Amino acid sequence: MEEEICRDLPLVLSSFVDTFVDFSVSGLFLPQSSNPNPNPNPNPNSSSDTDPLPSSPKLATRYPAPDRLIAVGDLHGDLQKSKEALRLAALIDASDRWTGRTATVVQIGDVLDRGGDELKILYFLEKLKREAEKSGGTIITMNGNHEIMNVDGDFRFVTQAGLDEFRVWADWFCIGNAMKSLCDGLEKPKDPFFGIPLKFLGVKEELYHSIRCRIAALRPEGPISVRFLSQNQTVVVVGDSVFVHGGLLPKHVFYGLERINEEVRDWINGLKGRFSPGYLRGKHSMVWLRKFSHELAQNCDCSTLEHVLATIPGAKRMIMGHTIQETGINGACGNRAIRIDVGMSKGCINGLPEVLEIIGNSELRVLTSNPSYRDRLEADRKGGLGLLLPEHGPRQVEVKA
Amino acid sequence: MGQVESNQSSAPNNSQSRPSDSLDALIAEAAAFGDDENESLDAKAQKALECPCIAHLRSGPCGTQFSEAFVCFLKSSAEEKGSDCVHPFVALQNCIKANPNAFSKDILDDDDEVKKEEEPTQEYKIIPPIWAAEKGPKQKL
Repeated sequence: MEEEICRDLPLVLSSFVDTFVDFSVSGLFLPQSSNPNPNPNPNPNSSSDTDPLPSSPKLATRYPAPDRLIAVGDLHGDLQKSKEALRLAALIDASDRWTGRTATVVQIGDVLDRGGDELKILYFLEKLKREAEKSGGTIITMNGNHEIMNVDGDFRFVTQAGLDEFRVWADWFCIGNAMKSLCDGLEKPKDPFFGIPLKFLGVKEELYHSIRCRIAALRPEGPISVRFLSQNQTVVVVGDSVFVHGGLLPKHVFYGLERINEEVRDWINGLKGRFSPGYLRGKHSMVWLRKFSHELAQNCDCSTLEHVLATIPGAKRMIMGHTIQETGINGACGNRAIRIDVGMSKGCINGLPEVLEIIGNSELRVLTSNPSYRDRLEADRKGGLGLLLPEHGPRQVEVKA
Repeated sequence: MGQVESNQSSAPNNSQSRPSDSLDALIAEAAAFGDDENESLDAKAQKALECPCIAHLRSGPCGTQFSEAFVCFLKSSAEEKGSDCVHPFVALQNCIKANPNAFSKDILDDDDEVKKEEEPTQEYKIIPPIWAAEKGPKQKL
């Protein structure tokens, strides 16, 4: 029996170290996943002779309409606001546990940049995903332009606190690797810094190390990219709603939604070179487009939107983030375009959290923590803010935050 | 190590409030399996400590803290495995913070051999944070 214990110990040690590193980075203990990501703490060289990297379970692109659907906008490194948004919809309780039962949540992307809790949000959503799974709920997390930028190595909108968080991650991750490599039964973990330059021209020297840490974590095949971002979809159709961070054009639908999700996933997993596919770059790309989310409804290209929706069977509306709506969640083009980025992060406009709720196939509601929503509706009715709050934006319901 | 983890030792104490950890459940379990189960779990954990895989981890400045955290993890039956081990985990964290090289000696030795082939390529271009420019205010993007 003793031999048996020792034979299994390397794997047990590996899981202990992963748990310890996760706790040290995030303060969380993750529940066991019932649908395990085959590569939970990616150490391509360690212990896992059975799972070659990314032939992971297929990313779903289309989902049947759930009984209750909640859509959450851009989070940008603000954990507090992220939790407030989820709490508005009673998806988590006071101790942050999943209470959403069988609800489906779509987070529209842009967890990264502009704030310092990026990893904490990624970890928190991962914990909720696993809790939700156990009670029949689903959390769909998506790629926004800021996820794509960071995997591409475009760190323009990274904050100092964001660099610090990744530096701490790298410290613990490397300590974990060091611990694993002391056990002969485990293969030596891969160096996460392999191939990353030691200095960066034109950058303050004291930032070199933190920037290296961020690259290590988030580049294609980086441990954080593979573990968290590779699970993200870039476009999903849930019931009669199409979700995409920026917006879809006919060419994207023609290219193939499933194909896009798979290609982006493969790129994040390191199978497609360093840089993102073209449909993720530039202002007409899926994650940057603002054609349907311009705050002035009259500037929205409703006819293109109609065309796109007509090419996706069953699609009645497109739900987008990316463009901050200072007046809160609203609809344009006869509610065929629903815009849910309320800029809630402190690093954006510190907007009041709001989420979109769709019950079955019935009407859309905005759950808001904003007590002045009545004023908004009133003003809308009088036509005073008619341009800013076009048509019959989704109905607002005030909820205690 | 930075400040990010420093305030976390108190965060995840939710293990105590989980209903499945209730005394009833524990008693039911004990009744079902008898005391042998706990004893053998203890014994197993003690035997595991003798395995060669973790011999190096048990030596050195944080060996004690490692052993305690590891044994606690082995015995953990919490749904979030290890969530009932916050104290030994924090002790191990603190020891590592005080001894950053607690577990790295052998690795550094190994590294010397591979260093050469791991020479970083200098071609990895990135776009740094807007505020990270070396000197003077840079133009806005």
